[in-house]
Order: sequence, then C-alpha cells, then structure tokens
Amino acid sequence: MLTLAGIGKSYPNGLVALDKVSLDIEAGSFTSIVGPSGCGKSTLLRMIAGLDGPSAGSIQGRPDGEIGLVFQDATLMPWADVTANVYLPLRLAGVSRLDAAPRIAEALALVGLSDFAGAYPRALSGGMRMRVAIARALVTRPRLLLMDEPFAALDEITRNKLNDDLLRLWREQGFTTIFVTHSVFESVYLSTDIAVMTPRPGRVLARHRILGPAARDAGFRASAAYLDGCRAVSHDLERAMAAAV
Amino acid sequence: MTRFLPLLVGIVVLAVWEMSVRLLYVPVFVLPPPSMIAEALWTNFPQLLDALLETLKLTLAAFAASFAGGLALAILFVRSRLIERSLLPYAVVLQVTPIVAIAPLIVIWVGVDHVERAVLILATIVAFFPILSNASFGLRSVDPGLADLFRLYRATGRQRLWLLQLPSALPALLAGARISAGLALIGTVVAEFVAGSGEATGLAWRIVESANRLEIPRMFAALLLLSLTGLALNAAIAQIEHRLLRHWHAGHGEAG
Repeated sequence: MLTLAGIGKSYPNGLVALDKVSLDIEAGSFTSIVGPSGCGKSTLLRMIAGLDGPSAGSIQGRPDGEIGLVFQDATLMPWADVTANVYLPLRLAGVSRLDAAPRIAEALALVGLSDFAGAYPRALSGGMRMRVAIARALVTRPRLLLMDEPFAALDEITRNKLNDDLLRLWREQGFTTIFVTHSVFESVYLSTDIAVMTPRPGRVLARHRILGPAARDAGFRASAAYLDGCRAVSHDLERAMAAAV
Repeated sequence: MTRFLPLLVGIVVLAVWEMSVRLLYVPVFVLPPPSMIAEALWTNFPQLLDALLETLKLTLAAFAASFAGGLALAILFVRSRLIERSLLPYAVVLQVTPIVAIAPLIVIWVGVDHVERAVLILATIVAFFPILSNASFGLRSVDPGLADLFRLYRATGRQRLWLLQLPSALPALLAGARISAGLALIGTVVAEFVAGSGEATGLAWRIVESANRLEIPRMFAALLLLSLTGLALNAAIAQIEHRLLRHWHAGHGEAG
C-alpha cells in the first residue's frame, strides 16, 4: 500500500498548493484523483514519482523497481523511432539493445503497435503517440503506473478506446494505477477508487469506491454502479468548487 | 517555372552587361565584360584553383574549430552557470570587436612566419559565436516532460547530454552551423586581406594582387569562385540539415 501522510506543498511566494493531503492507495487498485485545475493533483503525482519534494508530510510504500509515468502530452523524442522511444527507460538502466528487444516487442504488442516499431512520432496520430508513451511506461514492468491526464487532448472515440485498453492492461498486468483527470465520467468508468480534491489549497474532500465488475465495457456506462458513481463524484466536485470560491 | 526565374534574370543581366560595356566603351579596368571574365577564369584556372583550395582549406578548418570549440563551450555553459557567468562577457567582447581591428595583432603574434595560422585564428574568432549561442540555446531547449522522464529513470549526466540535450539541440545547432560556415568564409577572406603578404596564397590575396596590377577580369574571376564556394558551403550544410532533421521537422512543434 502506498501511503501519503499529511502532504503539504507551499511556495516561497506564499501560495499553498497542497494542504495536509492524506491518501491510502491500495496495491493493485486503480485510483483516480479528480479535481478542477489548480487543485495540485499534478503536483501530487510528481511527488509520488519522486520528481518533486513535499514541503510537509511523507510518502511511504513506494514499490520497488521502476515507476511508469505518462503525461498529458505523449512526450516522445521526435528524433527517435517508436522502438528507440520505448527502449529509453531500459537504455537508461543500462540494458543492452539485444536484451531489451523482446521486452520492447512485448510492450509494443500490449498497446497494439507491433506494426509501427520503425515509425517516427511525427507520422503517428495523437492516439498512437499516446500508446507509444504507455508502452514506454510499461516496458520496465512497473508495479506503479502514474498517469497525468493522459487522454485529455484526444478526441472522445480515441479516448474511449484507450480507456478500455488501459483497463485491460491494468487487469492483465496487475500494476497499481494512479490516474489524474478532471473528467468525472472517465474516472468513474476506470477506477476502483476515486479521491476528489478541492482547489487552492489542494485538499482531499472525499473518497469514493466504485463497485462493479473489474472487466468493464460500454455496457458498464448504463449500469447503476456507474450512474451512482457519476452522481456522487459530480456532487462532491461541485462542493469542491464551491469551497474554493 | 519560378525555379528558372533566377537563371533567366542572370542571363539577361549578363547580356545587358556585355552589350553595354562594349557599346559604351567602358574601360576594362573599370568593368570588364563577362566574356573577358570567363576567359580570365579559363586562362588562370590552375592558379585560381590552387588559391581556392587554400582558402577552402582554411575556411573548413576555421569552421571545424569553431564548431568543436563553440559546442564544447556551450556544453560547459549549460553544465555550470558559474562558468557561463565568468566567460560569456569575453566571448561577447570577441564577437563585437571588429575582426579587422584585431587582425594586425594576431598577425604579429603568430603570423609573422605562418600567415595561414593567423588567418585560421581570425576566421575562427569570426565563425565561433553563432555556434556558441545557438548551441547554448539548443541545449537548454529540452522538452521539460522528457527531462522529467530522464530524472525519473535516474539518467546519468552523460546519458542526459548524449541522449537528450544534444539531440534536442540539433536544429538550433545546425542553424548556427549554417551561419558559422558563411562567416568562416568571410573571416578567411577578410583575414587574408589584412594578414596577406607575398606569402599568402588564398583567393582573397589573388583579388588584392589582381587589383594592384589592374587585372580586373582575373579579379572578377576570383570573386566568382568565392561566391560559388559560399553557395556550395551553404548547400552542403542545408543538405546535412535535411538529412538529420527529416524525421522530426513537422513533429517539432505541437502534435498535428
């Protein structure tokens, strides 16, 4: 279990981005952090990744080994083809190209890009670029995958498809996922757990557990569990916005 | 069609030039007709070619030296603010001081016996700055998301330099190289003018010599060769640029 205990983040100019954020994230869960822009959810994710330090509090129980990280932008190296982009985390860890080859092939197969191993990012669509970013995050077989609004810039059809693919990967691979989004519907569709955050300063306002089958599809969007979840999370998000004004 | 317009303009200009010089009896030492320049080029070709190769050799050496030096210094600057703060003002001083003004000094220091060394140093000083400034800019223009990934995966400083900073700097670096190559040629020619003596064998010195002897057609021929050299250098670097950047030109900005 990953435990965030009393996390605070304040800046020299007096801005308090996060205030006493405490959150338990169960191993193997799919936890979404939902909140309006400015609630510090991306900052929180960066702290879990170890890219940012908290001003107060602590983070315990980070899994051993690598952490996968996916941003809103695919953030690929434009000068490198798909294979080289996916190879990057292994290359930085000193794995030889030869040893990495089967793992790269496996990661590309997971996201359905086996036929595009030699393509360059500029030749790919936004959705395919995002798949490359996911393959790159998964190539180290992380126990924890962090995603910062990964599908926000994509069209709805692509987003739904990637949501389903991500759920499948999460079920098959068994990694813990922490997913930052501002979309209530996306979070309820994907998650087992949801934390709603308030803006300025960022606090955890409420937690929700979404019941329902682990294997979800379009039918889940018509189920009571989904609709109840959306209603409850939307309600809390409105409260979060009201608290900010 | 529009591709051939410059060629057409060139032919028309040459024709008008040839005719007006002949019809108006313009003295050859003021403006020789193109036909005479072509003849001068033909008869002096072996000698001019030697001179051209000498100039080209110095130009390329100066370009290589500024490229290596400028890039190395830029890497140092990006690594350490302290070094940048300490050295950048001197690089700027070198850049803004007219090369013609420092030329005599450099000639006295190193060029008394070896003019070509003085020329090389002067041309390098001229060509150095665009590489330094473009490389510094390029090395800093790393995608912050990629920089985060390199941190997440605990990349070493060397990995960050070779796998992230240098590739990110490539477009800016090549743009700088194009400017620098042109300046290396200009620097070489100017330095040959200033430093040149009987010893100098470059194309610029052939121009001075021709002017002194009022061999104006030969001077024009040398001038023509210089222009062609500049064009060739520019085209060569454009070609390298195209080859190295063809994969990411469009993807350089926002996702499309």
